[in-house]
Amino acid sequence: MRIHQPQPTAEVLRGLLAQPDVSAAVTAHRVLPARAAQLAPIPGWIDPRLRGALEDRGMPALYRHQVDALEALRGGEDILVSTPTASGKSLCYHLPVLQAIAEDPSARALYLFPTKALSRDQLAEVRELGDRAGMQLQADVYDGDTPAPLRGRIRAAGQIVVTNPDMLHAAILPHHTAWFQLFEQLRYVVVDEAHSYRGIFGSHVANVLRRLARICAHYGSTPRIVCCSATVGNPEALGRTLTGRPVRVIDRNGAPSGERHVVVLDPPVMDRRTGARPGPSGLARRSALAFLRAERQTIVFGRSRVQVELLLTTLREQLREGRGPLDRVRGYRGGYLPSERRAIEAGLRTGDILGVVSTSALELGIDIGRLDVAVLAGYPGTISGTWQQMGRAGRRQDVSVAILVAGAGSLDRYVASHPDYLFEASAEEARLDPENIHVLLAHLRAATFELPFEPGERFGASSADDLLAFLAEEGHVRQADDLRWYWASENFPASEISLRVAAPENVLIIDTGPARPRVIGEVDLFSAPTLVHEDAIYLHESRQYHVDRLDWDERKAYVRPVDVDHYTQAELAVTLKPLDIFDEAALGDATRSHGEVMVSSLATIYKKLKMDTHENLGWGRIHLPETELHSTAWWLSLSPAATVGWVRDDLDRALVGAGRALRTVACLLLMSDPHDLGVVAQVRSPHLGRPVVYLWETVPGGVGLASRLFERTPELLSAATDLIEGCDCERGCPACVGPGAELATLASPRELAARLLRSLGDVRVAA
Amino acid sequence: MDQATGAIRAHRLDRLRDRVRAEPPTTPIVATRVTALRDLGRAETLARVLGGHVVRCGSAAIAIVESRTRLPADLGRLRDLPDPLRPDQPIVCLDTETTGLGTAAGTLPFLVALGRWQADEFVVRQLLLPDQPDEPAMLDVLERHIPPDAQLVSYNGRAFDWPLIVSRYRLHGRPAPDHAAHLDLLGLARQLWRHRLPDARLASVEAGVGGVRRHGDLPGALIPERYFQWLRGGDASLFTDVLEHNRQDVVSLALLLRILSQDVLPERDGRAAMGAVQPQDLAGLGRQYARRGRPDDALACFDRALERLPPTWRDRDLQDTINADRARALGRLGRRLEAVSAWEAVALEGGPMAPIAWIAVAKSLEHVARDPVAALGAARRADALAFRSRFLGRPQPQIERDLARRLPRLIRTARARSLRAASAA
Repeated sequence: MRIHQPQPTAEVLRGLLAQPDVSAAVTAHRVLPARAAQLAPIPGWIDPRLRGALEDRGMPALYRHQVDALEALRGGEDILVSTPTASGKSLCYHLPVLQAIAEDPSARALYLFPTKALSRDQLAEVRELGDRAGMQLQADVYDGDTPAPLRGRIRAAGQIVVTNPDMLHAAILPHHTAWFQLFEQLRYVVVDEAHSYRGIFGSHVANVLRRLARICAHYGSTPRIVCCSATVGNPEALGRTLTGRPVRVIDRNGAPSGERHVVVLDPPVMDRRTGARPGPSGLARRSALAFLRAERQTIVFGRSRVQVELLLTTLREQLREGRGPLDRVRGYRGGYLPSERRAIEAGLRTGDILGVVSTSALELGIDIGRLDVAVLAGYPGTISGTWQQMGRAGRRQDVSVAILVAGAGSLDRYVASHPDYLFEASAEEARLDPENIHVLLAHLRAATFELPFEPGERFGASSADDLLAFLAEEGHVRQADDLRWYWASENFPASEISLRVAAPENVLIIDTGPARPRVIGEVDLFSAPTLVHEDAIYLHESRQYHVDRLDWDERKAYVRPVDVDHYTQAELAVTLKPLDIFDEAALGDATRSHGEVMVSSLATIYKKLKMDTHENLGWGRIHLPETELHSTAWWLSLSPAATVGWVRDDLDRALVGAGRALRTVACLLLMSDPHDLGVVAQVRSPHLGRPVVYLWETVPGGVGLASRLFERTPELLSAATDLIEGCDCERGCPACVGPGAELATLASPRELAARLLRSLGDVRVAA
Repeated sequence: MDQATGAIRAHRLDRLRDRVRAEPPTTPIVATRVTALRDLGRAETLARVLGGHVVRCGSAAIAIVESRTRLPADLGRLRDLPDPLRPDQPIVCLDTETTGLGTAAGTLPFLVALGRWQADEFVVRQLLLPDQPDEPAMLDVLERHIPPDAQLVSYNGRAFDWPLIVSRYRLHGRPAPDHAAHLDLLGLARQLWRHRLPDARLASVEAGVGGVRRHGDLPGALIPERYFQWLRGGDASLFTDVLEHNRQDVVSLALLLRILSQDVLPERDGRAAMGAVQPQDLAGLGRQYARRGRPDDALACFDRALERLPPTWRDRDLQDTINADRARALGRLGRRLEAVSAWEAVALEGGPMAPIAWIAVAKSLEHVARDPVAALGAARRADALAFRSRFLGRPQPQIERDLARRLPRLIRTARARSLRAASAA
């Protein structure tokens, strides 16, 4: 029998689900019916050249949401387009922009994308459309990579300037006099991937857009704003908060889709006593393999770089038997070089690449076309993340399949046992806070630098006078006799603000194997100690590399290819220091707080683990400096009254267990990614002198989770108590307080954590 | 919604204030202004203390301080500069003092010095901005001082001062004044004099070339803070040394123009052999001509520089470099035979320029003499020298790259040629 044989997607799915151990794992199988395209004629006022270009592309009509967008903009409204992945969102801005240029070649537009990769994709698309229409379009990317000779031309004559918020903030707005031609004629501002502007980044970007609006007003233009977003729970609020203007939400999706199957698989428990379950990789691999062997284009999402590389290795090994298409299965993740990623994206679009194993690096709107199957090896952590990854599978005509294989994590457990959560809960809300006082003041400095403020002038929704008076006290701003506020300092305020907070410092990975050493990838500084410490096994495109030397000062890791049957896993010691308390409040015998913290992490040791059994083969020390992260945290400190009668060791284990449960519950409550929160439990905090549990945000600067946890602390505590008390393990398991495999003579960590949380009992009533 | 956000903002600001107030203030706040100053107005105060006059434009005003220096000069030869200036059109020397580096929108030029000759006197007018709202007056007056046929002279002004001024006009929504030319002396000074100075800053050039000695000069880095002190209510006398620094900068520009016109350019023609001009200066001038596409003038400079090299000159490298420049200029002029023999001379000298020279010879043999065999010989000489350089730890990658393409091609054509010759025989 031939193992590899082309087969229709639906048939492969039927075969897969017929296997007994797979069918035993199914907790949900929903069929989303096919949707016909909802078309609308191209509006009559569209320039004939553009109409021709669309027809040339095989589009005699448009999808309904595209026409909605065109008409709303024509009517003078600002819009936010919120339709699923690959529904033709970008035409919602390309078309009106090209129409404006067709009507008046001096019209200009500014496109903002959160990443450089997306800028390039969209530039290619709009250029192609312009070419088909026979328009002499000046469209270019303006970012850090733009060569100097081109910059002047783009400033003077670029009809479409494609850039990112960071560049707008630091290079364009402060130099607006050099860009006056753009600002005088600016008709459209396009904010794509608007859902990615949440948290601290979003708060910054909203303020950058406020500055942009001021500059436009100065040069006499009032551009329309087009936002595009993946599905979020609060599109109208997102658009309004981000742009500072009311936006019309365009969400009547008119794009067609074929029948879609969504399957949730839950690998069965292996050991009820410890609650041990297999990881999601096994079932994910089996599912993917079935489709790959049938020549169905498949994407597999892993949760971590290591998981991606392991999945890729085993997939390729199994495809090898029967001479499967193993060369057509590739890996894709953050550490790969841009050129390599571009090649993979192109291969997926053309179909040359049959399968790809990816981290969420592919989540953002990078164009890889539509695939047959998406397999999620583990719950991505958020509902919108799940639907975005599942959305990669979705043929316009044909059947497509999305399979979620739950992992052993507590969130995975929850989703697998409550699949309705996935289908019925609304998408997460994208939260941002442009009124964050630090962010606001920083951008007000930059705005004053750009143009003096009139007395009473608004910045955002209200007057800036009080804030400017505050800035005047520190001396960078002054009010002159004409009552205007002027910048009065040598400093260049934009250079003091990083929109992403995290320093863009990376460690380069250099392969010394070939005659000429070459750079094979990079990792960010904060994760370098765990991924490329000396003697680490670093995986790249499923090849193993041994890290011979890590030059920390030069930010370079020297590796050479090896072939071994183990991987390495590093352990981190984390210490945490509160720097500033934003708010605190008493809560029974405890105090809840949130604020700014400094997190120091030190990689201590690494373990060598056998590839297939994860058996421990040995360990070594890591000698690297601490890395520091500035972030925000929520914490709960217990008063002496709360811990009367506790033995220190018990209290320690109770805090650790409660911390884990709190983190799990926090992720569900905020619908955030579990990787976004770290937990530190201190039986006696050196800073507060009390027992403390911290949940800290792993994203530098935080994304506002800590403040939400502060608001919802009572719910958080009661849900954590429920989680621990409701767990079906004996003494603690990974799904509640962590592994309980300790000496049976000691009190069970599960019992201890439950007791501790119960002792804050009043709180539950309050909730 | 506006009220709500306004309230949130006020609350957050209050909390921030509380936190900041808990800490001791880091910078002293100058809150009180000199009352006399308020009565008189800033512009009048400046004019009175610094000895100038006030010019008003609407509600805005600036102070202008004028000074005269005796500086007789014959500027006729400036028309022969690589970037020529016409002596019959106004020459306006320009220098600004600003609140920061860079030309972004928040950098303010608060002092602009404009210098022009009136007969034997060099007259400097310094336009001083009393306060930020007075800028429209500054722009008005500046416009009046820069006629459309003005030729600006500055030091790094093409990259800094002028773009900054243009930026200010745009900020105020008006066009910057037109002018006929802009000579930035920084580039020329670098070519001519950098070899004998620690750096090419104006202060170094005026000292090393013009013999200017400044006494108690205010370091440029301190200037922005002086202006902010004044804005916060400081004394007008803060400007005394700022004005002097700025005035001296413009006078130095005039001095350099005089040196160029009276010493350097005549020296090029061998007319005034004065010790002030060194052979390397002339070679630098030659390179500047070459850059501007004037090989004839460049050649004159190189010839004169070689002539001026003392017979006991030990620095063969310098001679070598100038000879190579000269050969290049000859090539540009289309004087091929002379160029080739000049390159040959450099090649046979065996100095640091020899590999380049051999390549030039090879090019000529290949394309002009059509003798690939001889060209290959020359290229091999270059290759041997490049190899030696690399062996001695001074690799010349550009030459190696050139030869990596040139040698195989010449080998191919030379072989083809000899085969053809053999078959013809």
